[in-house]
Amino acid sequence: MNETARRDDPIERYLDQLAHELRLGPERTRRVLREAEDHLRESVAAAEAAGATPDEAERQAIDRFGSPRTVARRFAAEQASVLPPSVLLNLVLAVVLLGGIGAVAVGISGGVAQVMGSVFGERFVAGDTNGVTYTPARCRDFMEYEPQAPDCEAAATAHHFGEVVGYRIALGVLGICALAVYALVRRRYPYLAGVRVLPDGFVPTVGAALFGAAAALLLFQSLGQLAVGDASGVGAYLSGGIVSAVAFCGCAWPLLRMLRDSDLPRPVRA
Amino acid sequence: MRGETLKGHLDLLLLAVLAGGPAHGYAIITALKDRSSGVFDLPEGTIYPALHRLERAGLLDSHWALAAGRSRRIYELSPAGREALRTQRDDWQRFARAIHAVVQGSA
Repeated sequence: MNETARRDDPIERYLDQLAHELRLGPERTRRVLREAEDHLRESVAAAEAAGATPDEAERQAIDRFGSPRTVARRFAAEQASVLPPSVLLNLVLAVVLLGGIGAVAVGISGGVAQVMGSVFGERFVAGDTNGVTYTPARCRDFMEYEPQAPDCEAAATAHHFGEVVGYRIALGVLGICALAVYALVRRRYPYLAGVRVLPDGFVPTVGAALFGAAAALLLFQSLGQLAVGDASGVGAYLSGGIVSAVAFCGCAWPLLRMLRDSDLPRPVRA
Repeated sequence: MRGETLKGHLDLLLLAVLAGGPAHGYAIITALKDRSSGVFDLPEGTIYPALHRLERAGLLDSHWALAAGRSRRIYELSPAGREALRTQRDDWQRFARAIHAVVQGSA
């Protein structure tokens, strides 16, 4: 179509105005214009088939489509709703799932710390490293918290042991609640499972990375401390390290299976 | 019927129309008008933003196809869209029954 004919075509003029009004990116603008043109041309053909003259058919088609400003405003309004609720809910659920798994892992490490305390003594889990001392005032506090302890050091250890185990288990209970909420929402809105927001394998990938890093750090700290012959408080790190390592395997296993079953290019032997 | 009145129900209507099979924008709007006996007569261009939003939400899939010498965008329900339609239809039927019961009771 030459420039003069284009200017005389009401649909072309309409599309120019619509392009001017739209506040979308170039790709989306092109798509909207292509869809609008297809719609208008089909609408004109239908009106002509119903007996309208070409001019009437074009006018009717444009009138029914809505003014360029109205259409552009509707696109702008849809654009302004940053994320569709289903997408937003899926993102929140992914965070709840990861947070829940992490919190449950911390809770389990509290249980492991409790077992370590029973087997190796509370000092193994919550004892202070060599050289740590407390002011008399702080010692009085510990003795007040743990009146059955024979001295300040034992009272501090008992107090810290209670914190290590109690706080971790409390966090684990919160994690179970988070996972229960996750399961309930998934059950209430089953179609969310089909909404592709995050790439496949996102949760096991993030989980494996975080748990792997935590396991490496905590086990390194534990073994380093044992290597210098100081076992006081090692259990606090070791319990976390062991649970992180197990959680890492739990995340890495489905990830490996996913990678094995994927269509990724395989190395070819010469 | 004005667009404002339809606000909040448009997603369900579009999903319900597409439950009949893949269709392009013009066919969707025509079906919407025909099936409502002309009651749902929106500015046709305002349907497309809703279709794009539903696609971004993962409830619709779409692709270009060639028809009558023109390329057109064909929309269809995704598995998530089918599930969303089922849920929204159940909610709507419960809501409509409740409204009907109250309105009839006042007659």
